[in-house]
Parts: sequence; structure tokens; C-alpha cells
Amino acid sequence: METIKDIINTLTAPEILITLATILLFVSAKYRHVFYTNTVALVLFPAMFVFMAISMFDEDFYLIVTKPDNVPIVGMLFLIPFFTWFSMREAVRNDRRTDSGTPLIEKEETADKVLTWPDLVYTELIAIVLLTVLLVGWSILIPAPLEESANPAATPNPSKAPWYFLGLQEMLVYFDPWLAGVVFPGLIIVGLMAIPYIDTNPKGNGYYTFKERSWEIMTFLFGFLILWVLLVILGTFLRGPNWNFFGPYEYWDTHKLEALVNVDLSDYFWVRLLGMGRPDNILIRESVGFLVVLGYFLIPPMVLARTIFKRFYENLGPARYHIMVFLLLCMASLPIKMVLRWLFNLKYIIGIPEFFFNI
Amino acid sequence: MSKVNPPLRAAKPGEPADAGRRSFFSWMSLAWVSFTASMLAAGTATARFMFPNVLFEPPLTFRAGRPEELQVGIVDERFKDSNQVWLVREGGGIYALSTTCTHLGCTPNWLSAEQKFKCPCHGSGFYITGINFEGPAPRPLERFAISLADDGQLVIDKGRKFQQEKGQWELPGAYLEF
Amino acid sequence: MSQLKELLTSLSPTKLGEAIQKSQIYRSVFRVGVPVSDRKRMLVMLGNVFLHLHPVKVRKSGIRLRFTWCMGGITFFLFLVLTFTGLLLMFYYRPTIEYAYVDIIDLREQVPLGIMREIHRWGAHAMVISVWLHMVRVFMTGSYKPPREFNWGVGVILLVLTLLLSFTGYLLPWDQLAMWAITVGSNMARATPFAGYEGPGANLLTLGENIPLISSTSDARFALLGGTRVGEMALLRFYVLHCVGLPLVAGFLMAVHFWRIRRDGGISGPL
Ligand code: HEM
Ligand code: FES
Repeated sequence: METIKDIINTLTAPEILITLATILLFVSAKYRHVFYTNTVALVLFPAMFVFMAISMFDEDFYLIVTKPDNVPIVGMLFLIPFFTWFSMREAVRNDRRTDSGTPLIEKEETADKVLTWPDLVYTELIAIVLLTVLLVGWSILIPAPLEESANPAATPNPSKAPWYFLGLQEMLVYFDPWLAGVVFPGLIIVGLMAIPYIDTNPKGNGYYTFKERSWEIMTFLFGFLILWVLLVILGTFLRGPNWNFFGPYEYWDTHKLEALVNVDLSDYFWVRLLGMGRPDNILIRESVGFLVVLGYFLIPPMVLARTIFKRFYENLGPARYHIMVFLLLCMASLPIKMVLRWLFNLKYIIGIPEFFFNI
Repeated sequence: MSKVNPPLRAAKPGEPADAGRRSFFSWMSLAWVSFTASMLAAGTATARFMFPNVLFEPPLTFRAGRPEELQVGIVDERFKDSNQVWLVREGGGIYALSTTCTHLGCTPNWLSAEQKFKCPCHGSGFYITGINFEGPAPRPLERFAISLADDGQLVIDKGRKFQQEKGQWELPGAYLEF
Repeated sequence: MSQLKELLTSLSPTKLGEAIQKSQIYRSVFRVGVPVSDRKRMLVMLGNVFLHLHPVKVRKSGIRLRFTWCMGGITFFLFLVLTFTGLLLMFYYRPTIEYAYVDIIDLREQVPLGIMREIHRWGAHAMVISVWLHMVRVFMTGSYKPPREFNWGVGVILLVLTLLLSFTGYLLPWDQLAMWAITVGSNMARATPFAGYEGPGANLLTLGENIPLISSTSDARFALLGGTRVGEMALLRFYVLHCVGLPLVAGFLMAVHFWRIRRDGGISGPL
């Protein structure tokens, strides 16, 4: 038992968890005919349930999972995989129909028009009644959390943002607040709104399909499931005192020591590579960083337009193409910075604390 | 077939045919420009409304006892709760450290066993001098202006702060020789 | 005897119901009557201000649970629940440092039906999840594609508003959880490029030589909190935004959202 717990504790370390989840996402999409089927769901979801139930016997696991404010995240742990699985299953079914020339599931039903009263109105009524029962039951069983009265002098340890923002708080581990707290949220909003104008693929409008828009779906699912939901779960369950990582069966020890000594790119370049001191002039000191960042945003768009994104470039035209690639590069910068941190303890690519300009 | 609108009034001899319309447009543009400008002004004024002039917060300057009360090498936490300041005395003098983490503003804890300030929010660590050495904090803790009043009491002025990365810890006021 | 029998039959539920339906009051309120025929079912959808959010007839594929998961509808219902329970909470809650925390305790211990706050809080959490799932389903069915681009954009703003509503509400209990979540959250505004006093570029903005334009009492965070720290003014500001400002904007945008669903040809489906 203890060894299993230890293995799980090790596997849930951020670097391993995020890597494994990404692999799972892409592999399951590749073998979707096998993975997104009823059989898998009938095994997977009960197994998850049993796993949670057994884990409840572990004291540390129990403590973190039953915190009142964490209950919705436990729900999310099941709901989001379920609906992802469900929409992919529908997509696989529809794709099979397209292949064999039968009309789509939705298509078969579009011809029928039904009266809103009673068909829709009653569905809504039933949904409302069920939801009300659920909500009242939940409220009777679990009291809303209330801690001690606010005290500006004593920061609780750990102190966390509301759970839906824990993805952003996790980003703070890798980026400075101006990026993680302001620029990236802004880009997420702009990027989401830009989707309909960037994705000009006319197929897959109004029905489930994977084959006809696999690239869009994978990009969206990676962003939503890995870079948002998984980070929320990680921040809720696996970040403890001092924002250190704690495995699900690990005691939240306030004194757990973790080396947090990180190194800037300028240090790597001037001190470790060239063996000299860091130059005094800020611009010279950070010149490598500036080159890296500029190169990151300038070179890939040009290279991609000639290679794997050639079709995008031709279909979208330069303006939309460059906006798309810019947004994608911003999105990719988070996993890239994560990997750099895990492998090289890299703190800043450009580090100018004098002007609060750290990347 | 496109139909050209007739000019509003007959053109005088020697005048371009659509002068009437052009002057009409310039009046229009003037009107629009002033409309936009007044809207912007109103917007700015309303935005300014959200910035209060008077704050109901503790005063920025406070007295912090006599310097002899502090012991060398000990972080004094008496003013942490009330004024968000730590007083530190070392061999040559005294400085006033802000208790606000330079990362996202949580209040770090002084761990005397490990001789460091440790922030509970994201794990930044600072030496007793305020210099950051671990975690995400981008820069050292700030210091506040410290001086000696006529009655021999320490006076801390939180309105003036000194940042190490700007080289301000060398300035007078950042440090009280004692 | 027979008279009594007559009286009793006239008092029977069926008869009573008929009498009510014939009365002038009833007919003035419910123009169409009980929707028993298809004609009346259509008329009731047109005649009722709440039901006319819906079209009279819908494509079968569009209302199937497998297609919409009913997630948008659930989100909207949760919004209504939150508006109602929130209104009730406002009768007892006073947004000042002195009273906020005790009022929250009283809501559980003294006020009758002490689960109002629970319904409000859990409903808010559920709404965040349901709005995410709604977005996932709209994406997975490709329903943002023309002609629904604009409505997707409206939806994104609604998503942000949902999160902001939750966030502003988080401060109101004025406990440790609230205070520090908002401290960390609002401190990010301090780092806004140019508009926050610790944001990149802020120290380039100066008046004349040396007076900074953006300081801790003139930046984005200051406007949000109404002070330099999470205190009395911040509580009041978050209260006003949470109870009036944001719900109004969200309600207005929901009206646009629903109107556009119908203008864009109803729930999407294959062509
Ligand atoms: C407060 C939040 C929201 C409410 C109350 C809401 C409500 C609804 C409702 C009731 C529908 C009808 C179909 C259904 O139930 O799925 C709908 C459709 C739609 N929603 Fe939302 N929504 C919200 C947020 C969003 C968000 C976050 C997005 C996307 C980012 C979005 C995009 C759309 C689009 C494009 C449609 C049309 C779908 C179609 O025709 O198939 N909405 N919304
Ligand atoms: S607020 Fe101190 S480390 Fe983030």
C-alpha cells in the first residue's frame, strides 16, 4: 500500500503529471476508436470512483478532498473528463457515418421540427427541478466555508486564489505577475474571441466531428484541459504550504524544504558560458534574452508559413495567419517555460527588475 | 444608374459646384469632433471619480520607540501588525523593512531559526537584509525612510521608500547610523 | 338533498377549474388558455413574454440532450437562482468591516432557513463549471462558426463576467480566505503594464521631470480597491460591483446572447 502511495506521490509531481496528461490526451485522440467507446467509459469512470473511494482512507487525501471549497473540483474531476469523453465519442460515431456514407446523427433529425411546448419546455422544467434538488441537498449536507475574521497581518499558509483562478496562480510559478496575471488572461480572452475569425474551416459546423477539424479540436483541448483545468486541479490538490508541491497522500508539512534557487538566462550566458561577470549595462546584459524572445516571435511564423502551416498561410492570408501564429506562440510559451524551469531552473529569459520587465 | 444629389444651393459663378456640401461637411466634422471630445472628457472625469482623494487608512508616518530598545541581529516585529514594518538593527545601524512581499503582497514570516523571511503564498525567501534569494519574488523587500525625532524616538515615514535594485539603499534616510 | 348534490358537484375541482378558466381575470392574464391543442401550444409560445425567448418550433436535433447537454440553459437557471438568493442575502448583510463577518455568521446561526448562503455559494461554483462545459460543447459542435461568430464573442464576455462575479463575491464574507485571495488577486493589477505602479513601463510615465504619474495611489489597483490595501473601501466597491454592476451587465449581455441565438437561426445543426 505504502509503495503504491509513494509511486502516485511521485507521479503527480507537476512535471510528470503535466507530461503524462499531455501524452494521454494525444494518444487517446490518435486511437480514439478504441478509447472513446462505451467499454472504456464503463471501466474508466467506475475505476476513478473506486480509486477516490479507497484513497479516502488516507488521512492526508481525505483532508484535502473534503475541504468544502474543494468539493466542486472533485465534481469537476468527473464532469470534465466525462463530457470530453462524450463529445469525442459522438465525434467518432459521426465520422464513422461520414465514412460509410450514412447521414450524420444530427442530420437525421434536422428535418423534424417539433413544438417547443411541450418538447423543449418540459425538458427544461425537468432539468430545473433536478438541479434545484441537487443544489438544496448539497447545501444542507455541506456548510459553506468560513474561516477566522480577516486579519491583514497574518497570511494563512498556503493562501490560495479562488479555485477557478488557480490555473493563473500556477502560472505565477513560471511567469511574473504582469504576464501571468495581466497579459496572459487578456490574451486568453482575446484569443477565445478570435477563434471564429481564425478558424475558417467551413466543415464541422453544427455537429460533432473529429476528423474534419482534428487540428482545431486538439489545440482547444490542449489549452482547456491541460493548461487550464489540469493546472486548477494541481493548484487545488497538490500545492500546499509555501506553494510547494505535495503528493495526494503527503502530509502538508510547513517546513518542507525545496530548493527554489533559480538562474537567469543572463547568468547562464555571461557567467557560466563565457566565464565573465554580468555586464553593467542593462541592455547588453539582457541582449541574449531580447534576441531569444524576438527570435521566438519572428522566426517560427516565417518558417511555419513555408512548411507545415503552408495551407493555413494560403487559406488565411497574411494578417489572420500572423495573428493566429502569434496567439499560438503565446500559448506555447507556457509549456516551454515550464520545461525550461524543470530542466534548467531557468527563472527569467529577460530579467530587468529595475523596470519590472521580466519575462 | 447612379444619381448625383443636386447641390444644396446654386453655385455662384467662379465657385466649385459642391462648395455648399463641403462647408456643410466641415461643420459636421466640427460637431462630431466636439461631440467625441466632450464624451472623452466626461469619460475621463467619471474615471477620476473612482480615485478617492482622502483615504481612511492609518497615517503613513509613525513613531517606533527608542532605538536602544532594539537588539542587534534581532528582527523587531512589534509594528508588523499595526504598521506593516519590521525594524532591524545590525552592527552599524537600523533600517525599516516593509512587510509586503514584492511578489504579490502577502506578508512573509520571520523564521529566526533559518534566519530568513519566508513568504507563505508562493515561497519567496528574503535574507534579514531584505534581499531576495529564492522563489518568485523579483526584487528585495522595500525599506522605508527612518530618522530620529528630537525626543530621541525613531520616526518611520512610509511615504518614502527605498528600493535596493535602484541603488536607493545608499541614500540618506534608508538607514539610520546608530 | 339534490340541491346539496348540485352544490357539491359545482364545487368539484373540475368544475371549479372550468369556472376559473372562464372568469374574466383568468382570461385577461392567460390569453391562450391551457395549451391542449397544437394551435394553442404555438400561441402560448408567442404570447408569453418569458416563453417567447424560444421559437415556436425547434429542430429536433437542436434540443436533444446529447447535443446541447442543456448546459447553456443550466447556466442561465443558475444565474436566476443566484440573483434570487443573492437578493435575500442582501436583506441581512452589511458591507462594512465592522459587520460583514458577523452578519455572515448570523446568516447561518440566527436567520431562519440557514442554508441561503450555502445555496448561493454552491450555486456560484456550479455556474462556473457549467459555463465552462457550455463553452466546451459549443466548441466541440463547431457552433461558433458563421453565422454565430458574434454570439461566441458575447459568450466569452459572459464567461469573464461569471468569473468576475464569483471573484467579487469571494471578498464579502470578510474572512481570512476572502481577504488573502483578494489581496493576491488584486495585487496582480499592480503589475499591469503602464497602468500599475509595478508594471513594466509605469516608471516611463512621469509628469515633467520627476513626479511619477503612476504611483500606488493612482494606479489600476488603487481604482479597484479604492485605497492602497484591501480595506473598508475595497469591501464596499466589491459589494457594489457584485450586487449591482456586474449582474446588470451580465443580464444585459444574456439578453443579447439569447436574442442572437434566434437571429442566427436557432441552435446550430448540420446544413
Ligand atoms: C452566463 C453565461 C452563458 C449563458 C447563460 C448562456 C446561455 C446559452 C443558452 C441557453 C444557449 C442555448 C443552447 C444551449 O443551451 O447550449 C446558448 C447558446 C450559445 N452559447 Fe451561450 N451562454 C453563456 C456563455 C457562453 C459562453 C462562455 C460561450 C462561448 C465562449 C457561449 C457561446 C454560445 C454560442 C455560440 C451559442 C449558440 C450555440 C448553437 O447555436 O449551437 N455562451 N447559450
Ligand atoms: S506573494 Fe510572496 S511569494 Fe508570492
